Amino acid sequence: MSATAPWGDDGSHSTAGGSAHPEEGAAAAAFATSATRPLRALVIGYGSPIRGDDALGPLVADQLETRVSADPELSARVEVQARHILTAELVDDLARAERVIFIDAAANRAPGEVSRQRLAPDASALSTMAHFHDPRELLAWCQALYQRVPETWLVSAGGADWGYACYALSETAQAVVAPMIAEVLSLVGAEPDTPNTGPETYS
Amino acid sequence: MSRTISIDPVTRIEGHARISLQLADSGAVEDAKFHLTQFRGFEKFCEGRPYREMPALTARTCGICPVSHLLASNKACDDLLAVTIPPTAEKLRRLMNLAQLLQSHALSFFHLSSPDLLLGWDSDPAKRNIFGVMAKDPELAKQGIKLRQIGQTIIEMLGGKKIHPTWVVPGGVNEPLDSDKREAMLNMLPEALTIAKDTYALFKTMVPKFKDEAEHFGTMPTMFLSLVSPKGQLEHYDGFLRIKDAQGRIVEDRVPPSDYPRIIGEAVEDFSYMKFPYYKPLGYPNGIYRVGPLARLNNAESCGTPFADVALAEFHMLQEDSGPVRSSFHYHYARLVEIIFAIEMMQRLLKDPSILDTRVRAHARGNRDEGIGVAEAPRGTLMHHYKIDEAGLITWVDLIIATGHNNLAMNRSIKQVADAYVDGNTLSEGMLNRVEAVIRCYDPCLSCASHAFGQMPLSIELKDASGAVIDRLVRDA
Repeated sequence: MSATAPWGDDGSHSTAGGSAHPEEGAAAAAFATSATRPLRALVIGYGSPIRGDDALGPLVADQLETRVSADPELSARVEVQARHILTAELVDDLARAERVIFIDAAANRAPGEVSRQRLAPDASALSTMAHFHDPRELLAWCQALYQRVPETWLVSAGGADWGYACYALSETAQAVVAPMIAEVLSLVGAEPDTPNTGPETYS
Repeated sequence: MSRTISIDPVTRIEGHARISLQLADSGAVEDAKFHLTQFRGFEKFCEGRPYREMPALTARTCGICPVSHLLASNKACDDLLAVTIPPTAEKLRRLMNLAQLLQSHALSFFHLSSPDLLLGWDSDPAKRNIFGVMAKDPELAKQGIKLRQIGQTIIEMLGGKKIHPTWVVPGGVNEPLDSDKREAMLNMLPEALTIAKDTYALFKTMVPKFKDEAEHFGTMPTMFLSLVSPKGQLEHYDGFLRIKDAQGRIVEDRVPPSDYPRIIGEAVEDFSYMKFPYYKPLGYPNGIYRVGPLARLNNAESCGTPFADVALAEFHMLQEDSGPVRSSFHYHYARLVEIIFAIEMMQRLLKDPSILDTRVRAHARGNRDEGIGVAEAPRGTLMHHYKIDEAGLITWVDLIIATGHNNLAMNRSIKQVADAYVDGNTLSEGMLNRVEAVIRCYDPCLSCASHAFGQMPLSIELKDASGAVIDRLVRDA
C-alpha cells in the first residue's frame, strides 16, 4: 500500500480541505454545463480503434472535430464525438440535438462503398450487451424517455480489413475518409428534415 | 429419473454464462452449477510482453470497467518500479476509481436489475426490460442515465476518453488536473448526489416487499473479503485486506495486499472456465467468501462521509441479529450506499486544494521482479500479480477478479434459490428468472467485456437421464 493515501493522521477519511458536509441545493442549481446547451447537430463516429477499418467512425469524427473547432460558425452549432462504442448515457445528448449523424464502418457493404441512410427508432433492436447499443435502440430510448427523436442519419462505409490488434486503416478505408467527411458536412449543412430517399450509396 | 434444466445464456449480466439445475425424480433440485462458458486466456498471452504494456492490455479485459483493471495493473507496475507515487496522483486515481464505481453501479441498479425490482420477477418477460422500466417510471430511467453520464464524463475529463483511458500510468498519472475541469466536475456532483439520495430513499421503501427474496437470494453463512482503510473505513483504492466471518468476527486484518497469496488460494472445477478462489486456512470449498459492495459494507466500520454513514447504519439494520448482512439480495442496497459514498468522496477530493498539484508522476525503471496491485473494482477486490525478467518482460501473471472471488458464493446462491422456487414438475419462466436474478445480485463481470442486457434468448430444457428432451421452455431474442 502507499504511504500517501488521503487519510487523516488517524487513518480516517477526514482529509485536509475536505468538507464535513456536502453542499446541496444551491450547488445543484448552479449545475450549468455544456450538457444543457441545445445542439443543432451532433456527430458521433464509433468503432474499435484496434480492429482495423472498424476505426473509420472515430477517425472520421476526429478529423471532423479538427475542422469544426477551426470554424467558429460550425463549432457554434455542431458537436462531434468519437466513441469506441455507443452507450446508454448518449441518450441524453441525442435528446438535445436537432439532427444526429452517426458514422460507422460497415461489414455488410462492399469495401469502399459509402452510403447514408435515415435511421428511425426501433425498440426491437434491443441490445443484448449493455456495453454496446444499436443507434436505433438509443433513438427508441430517446422517444420513450423524452418524447422526441432527432432527425438521424447513418453515414457508413464498407471496410476491407477487421484484423485484431490492427491499428491502421486499409488503403480502401483510407480512401473513403474524405468522402465520408463530405457526406457528413453536407448533412450538417442541410435544411432540417431532409427527406429520406432511402439508402444512398456510391463507391 | 435424473433431469437437468439449462438456462443458457444467463441474461442481464456481463458476459456469457449458463446455469444448470439437476433435478431428482421428485422434481426437487439436487444440484446447481454456474458455468462460465467463455475462455479469455489473458494470463497466458500476456507472458512475454513488456510490463509497461500490462495496464493497456489488461484494461481490454473489460469494456464496462476498464478503469478497475487499469488501476490494479498500474499499482502492480508501481510495485515493480518500487516507487511511491505522488500524493496528488493517488488522489486523482482515487477520483477516477470512484467515478468508475458510480457509473458501473448505476448501470447495474438502474438498467440491469431494475426490470426485476420495478416490474417483478413474474412479470411479462417481453416487457421486463429497460423499455418496461421506461414505461413504468421514466424519471427513474432518466436518473440512471444521468448518473452514468456523470460518472463517465468525469472519467473522460480525467482520462481523455470514456472507454479505455490511458491517463493512469506506472508511477502516477500522465497529466495533472486543471482548475476548469475541477470546477466542471464539482458542478455535476450535487445533481448526482440528489439523484443518489432520492433513489436510495425510494429503494428503502421497496425493500420490505422483497422479504421473500431477501430470505432466499444467497442468504448463507460465508466470510467477507475487502480492502479497508487503516482505520477500518470503507476503502476502494488502497489500504489493507480484511476478512470477517459469517458471525462478524474479524479473522484476518491489516493484511498488506502484497500478502494476499498467504490467505487466498485458487481451485479449478471442470464445469467452468472461472477459477474458484477460497480462503486458504479453511481450504476448498469451506473457505467460501464474498466480495463486492455487500462485503465492503459488512467489513467497514464507517464510510467517513456524512450521508453514506447514515445509509451504512441503515444497511446494518437489514440484518436482524448483530452479524453481517448475509443476503446477497442486499447487494442492490449496498450498491446504492456506495453510490452516495462515491459522490461525497469525489466532492471531498475535488475540494482539496492539492488536487491541482502538478507533481503527478514518479519515474523509475523496473526495480523489482515481482509486483502486486490490489484495488476494489465495483464488483469487488481485484488483484493483479506479475513477475518479470531482467529485461522487464512478463514471465508470469495471476489475475483474480471480483467475480472469481464470488464464484463459490454464486454457485451456492443459485442452489438456494432453485431449492426455494423451482419445481421441476411445473416449470415457469418467472421461477427461472429468479435463478438468474440471484446471479444479477452479484453483477458478475464474466467476460469483462460485455453486459448482457434486455431480452436475450433463453432456452430451458428438461432432459431425462439418457439426454432425451422431455420439456422445453424457450424465450426468443
